[in-house]
Amino acid sequence: MLQKRQILRQKVLSNTEIRPNIFLLKVASPEISVSATPGQFCMLRVTEDESNDPFLKRPLSIHWINKDTGEIQFLYRIVGRGTELLSLIREGEEIELIGPLGQGFKIEDKEIPIIVGGGLGIAPLLFLADILRGTRGVVILGAVTKSHLLRLGAFKESGLEILVATEDGSFGNKGLVTEVFDRLMARLDESDRKRCMVFSCGPFPMLRALYHLCKIYGVKCQVSLETFMACGTGLCLGCAVKAREGFLHVCKDGPCVDAKLIDWEG
Amino acid sequence: MIDLKVKIGTLRLKNPVLLASGTCGYGKELSDFLDVSMLGGIVVKGISLEPRKGNPPPRICETPCGLLNSIGLENVGVERFISEKLPWLKDKGVTVIVNCLGNSIDEYRELSGRLGNVDGIHALEINISCPNVKKGGALFGTDPELTFKVTKAVREETDLPIIIKLSPNVTDICEIARACQEGGATAVSLINTLLGMAIDIERKRPFLGNIFGGLSGPAIKPVALRMVWQVARCVDIPVIGIGGITSFKDAIEFFMAGATAIQVGTATLIDPTSSEKILNGIIDFMKENNYLKIADMKIKD
Repeated sequence: MLQKRQILRQKVLSNTEIRPNIFLLKVASPEISVSATPGQFCMLRVTEDESNDPFLKRPLSIHWINKDTGEIQFLYRIVGRGTELLSLIREGEEIELIGPLGQGFKIEDKEIPIIVGGGLGIAPLLFLADILRGTRGVVILGAVTKSHLLRLGAFKESGLEILVATEDGSFGNKGLVTEVFDRLMARLDESDRKRCMVFSCGPFPMLRALYHLCKIYGVKCQVSLETFMACGTGLCLGCAVKAREGFLHVCKDGPCVDAKLIDWEG
Repeated sequence: MIDLKVKIGTLRLKNPVLLASGTCGYGKELSDFLDVSMLGGIVVKGISLEPRKGNPPPRICETPCGLLNSIGLENVGVERFISEKLPWLKDKGVTVIVNCLGNSIDEYRELSGRLGNVDGIHALEINISCPNVKKGGALFGTDPELTFKVTKAVREETDLPIIIKLSPNVTDICEIARACQEGGATAVSLINTLLGMAIDIERKRPFLGNIFGGLSGPAIKPVALRMVWQVARCVDIPVIGIGGITSFKDAIEFFMAGATAIQVGTATLIDPTSSEKILNGIIDFMKENNYLKIADMKIKD
């Protein structure tokens, strides 16, 4: 018998602006911390109980989890009224959330994980990097400029090799994450490339460019997709994205999907 | 002792709270959160003769206290519904109302004929009001003569209770409701979504892939309530109230306006258990106000 999934009310541990308009939200949620896998998301309510505006919950990927303390983290940017209201929630207050939801990244032993994150796309990747601790994995993080690089220290704690790209060259390699990825693949031999699995999240053009490189090098690639969502639970079919055949629904088929299923030109 | 049971023709509901089509999948999707069999019933996602892929994205846009959608009736088609989706609902003892959509009167006829003889289906809700498909749908629901013809065609095909789901995008809702009654409808349900749109001013183009979409949620409740009040006073068949019902207070307003039952729609998307909370709230309200049955709440003119 499947246990009924609860709509949780959980205590906020902190909600801190770590960069202008970018917040790190920490919530005490032992339930979610034990069941979630990297790449999954939660729906968060941003308003008080009786208010219907904004009406929808907000989907946020799980940034990091501490299974020992039951703490879960979300990393988000203020992009509209919903996230602005979310940013006003204070330590000690409660937040309503549903999760974990959706399909996380598929992780297999013996693969060489290559994690590629651009901008705020790094949000679901820290939890993944942490799980992949002790592997030969490589993390490639990208940002426009040094001050936009997020959570570099936290990624370093995973012990994985970290490569950084900034578009203006103010930190790490000058250029795009895809250029760093290209050079990394070029220096691997064929047998290692076959064992690579790319896990990525970021702006759509970045994911598309990355997928094309993966195709050229014959490397498997999973991406975490972002889209507007109403329910997050498979009820409304509102989060459709174009796939090779028909549509994929980000909340149930994703957010993490095999990149070859997507219609990248659609 | 409060009696929550309501009758829609020969359809007996254990309570007046239904899940609205398009917001509850085929029931199973909600079962992680809710025991669907505790409700009066479920109106499953609109079914067509053939599977439909739905409209291009973006399909949804949040608006103040509401939601615009242009899903476009993505569904598995009638045969897969019967073979893959219905058995679960039957097994759980859920009262099943199937929302039906056709492109022509013949398609409505064929679809209701196919569903009419299937065990486990308790009623049909005929969707003549979807704003998101080019053919069929709202074309029928905005014309009293076509409404009459569709209703009559479906009535001839099946003995199941027939509920016609009405569009609010009309000048005179009573004219359409009367056409349903004359065509032999068991009941009417209203309202479907209000036709609307949003524009992305940064990208300088319509927000939704389909340009127009249907507005739902608390924003449309006053319109829905007004139309339910009007229709409950111009036809003799039961009226099922739909439109922005988010709390038990909203549901009570619809009962007072004259609804025999209500459907919870968009609220389920925000809180998958909202129908259960609404049902509990209705019971408490009736106890506190000494109402014995749902019909007692209707305001007498």
